[in-house]
Amino acid sequence: MSEALQDLSLSSQSPASPEAALAVRELDFYYGEKQALKSITMDFRKQNVTAMIGPSGCGKSTLLRIFNRMYDLYPGQKATGTVLFDGADILDPGLDLNMLRSRIGMVFQKPTPFPMSIYDNIAFGVRLHEKLSRSEMDARVEDVLTRVALWKEVRDRLKEPAGGMSGGQQQRLCIARSIATKPEVLLLDEPTSALDPISTARIEELLDELKQDFTIAIVTHNMQQAARCADQVAFFYLGSLIEMDSADRMFTNPRQKQTQDYITGRFG
Amino acid sequence: MSKTMGEGWRKDPRATQRLVMDRLATGMSFVATGILVLALASILWTLLWNGLAGLSIAALIHPMGPPGSNGGLANAILGSFIQTAVALILATPIGLGCGIYLSEFGSGSKFATAVRFVSDVLLSAPSILIGLFVYLVLVAPFGHFSGIAGSVALAILAVPIIVRTTEDMLRLVPVAMREAGSALGAAHWRVVLFLCLRSALPGVLTGILLALARVSGETAPLLFTSLGNQNWSFSLNKPMASLPIAIYQYAGASYDDWVRLAWTGALLVTLGVLSINIIVRFGFRSKQS
Repeated sequence: MSEALQDLSLSSQSPASPEAALAVRELDFYYGEKQALKSITMDFRKQNVTAMIGPSGCGKSTLLRIFNRMYDLYPGQKATGTVLFDGADILDPGLDLNMLRSRIGMVFQKPTPFPMSIYDNIAFGVRLHEKLSRSEMDARVEDVLTRVALWKEVRDRLKEPAGGMSGGQQQRLCIARSIATKPEVLLLDEPTSALDPISTARIEELLDELKQDFTIAIVTHNMQQAARCADQVAFFYLGSLIEMDSADRMFTNPRQKQTQDYITGRFG
Repeated sequence: MSKTMGEGWRKDPRATQRLVMDRLATGMSFVATGILVLALASILWTLLWNGLAGLSIAALIHPMGPPGSNGGLANAILGSFIQTAVALILATPIGLGCGIYLSEFGSGSKFATAVRFVSDVLLSAPSILIGLFVYLVLVAPFGHFSGIAGSVALAILAVPIIVRTTEDMLRLVPVAMREAGSALGAAHWRVVLFLCLRSALPGVLTGILLALARVSGETAPLLFTSLGNQNWSFSLNKPMASLPIAIYQYAGASYDDWVRLAWTGALLVTLGVLSINIIVRFGFRSKQS
């Protein structure tokens, strides 16, 4: 298991490896005057699940929201450094944000069904980027709902409002909605923290399947979840990346004392 | 008191005083509520008693006429319908657009703050002032009263209500939903139009209906704009009858049938406003839940 022992720490000069879907270099982030991320350098490998853990306010969600430039919605938030994605810098001010967001999808902590039918929830995003015929759209809706294991539950009520589904179903719908635009990267911001254990287990199973097609970055407060789902785990503390390694290594033999203290529950 | 009870249970000397104060306060709020309910009930009762007496098919299909001619209120009912409908058609797009601007685009800017302030001032402006303003702008220059002037006056009253409710309802749309829309790659205007407005729609419609209820009983802004008309009036360019004006003209008259019709008109306006409120209360609640 030499793979498990491989050090995933990078120096700021490390070139972006071809296996990296996202290559973050020297990334700083500011909420107004307050610096929330300090010189982050890390890679997100293709077809892998990378979990970001750390106590509240450590910057892990902030990092996630940089990858689809969500912070652009709010004046006063600013990022410097580079995040390479398919040969382009995500932080480039001239970047087509709508295209970026179609290629890097995001699922939020609370399920956010749109006020429309289950079918239209999925079609809404697809229509923004593609012109599909009725039958192609039907096929796309069925495909993504099948992938999130929702098809059998909702095939007879696709025209009903999405707000009538259970929380777990809504969150799976949100994942379906995100993958319907065929993104390359999927960002998940604590996707199961508002769900019951059974719904959580289903979404975790789902991640395992989805990672064959997508690069997944997940923020979680749940250590077991990170251990179960992730290939790599990154530990953040006070805006800094303390340590990043394979999930096996992080949870059995972390290099940093802070990491060990956090995962054993001594602080956080 | 049983002997086993501890010292801590001995009677608090302030207990009686507390009990008296409690009863007094409760009693006073009951009395206040009673006075209010009594006032409302007596208004409704008077209205029903006097209004129903004059409510007949004739009153609903005959236009207003001279005393003793078996006249009705039909032209005033129609005039009220036309003027409030036109007012709403004028006010809704402006109110919606302005509310959307305040909540979604101008948020935080000085201009938006100023617009919000002006709109709120307009919300509480005396309606007769609005009538006077429209008289100066749309009646005096043309040399005659007109239905459209009445509609414009009513629209000016309706706009700030629609602005306020639209902005408030849009602000209730969770940030998470906006972000989810943006995260799919939807442009801001799409998020606003297809997600935020859609999600706020029941509330926004409620605002429009409340504005309708508010202006449909207004008399003062119509006095020197649409003036009123004894005959059928279909042209927005001519003086137009309306229920509030008919009530105003008939209630003070010394002819019994006119006074009776004034009560009937008041009953009709009240029923109209009441049914709008009922629609708002029950019609949209089931959709929201």
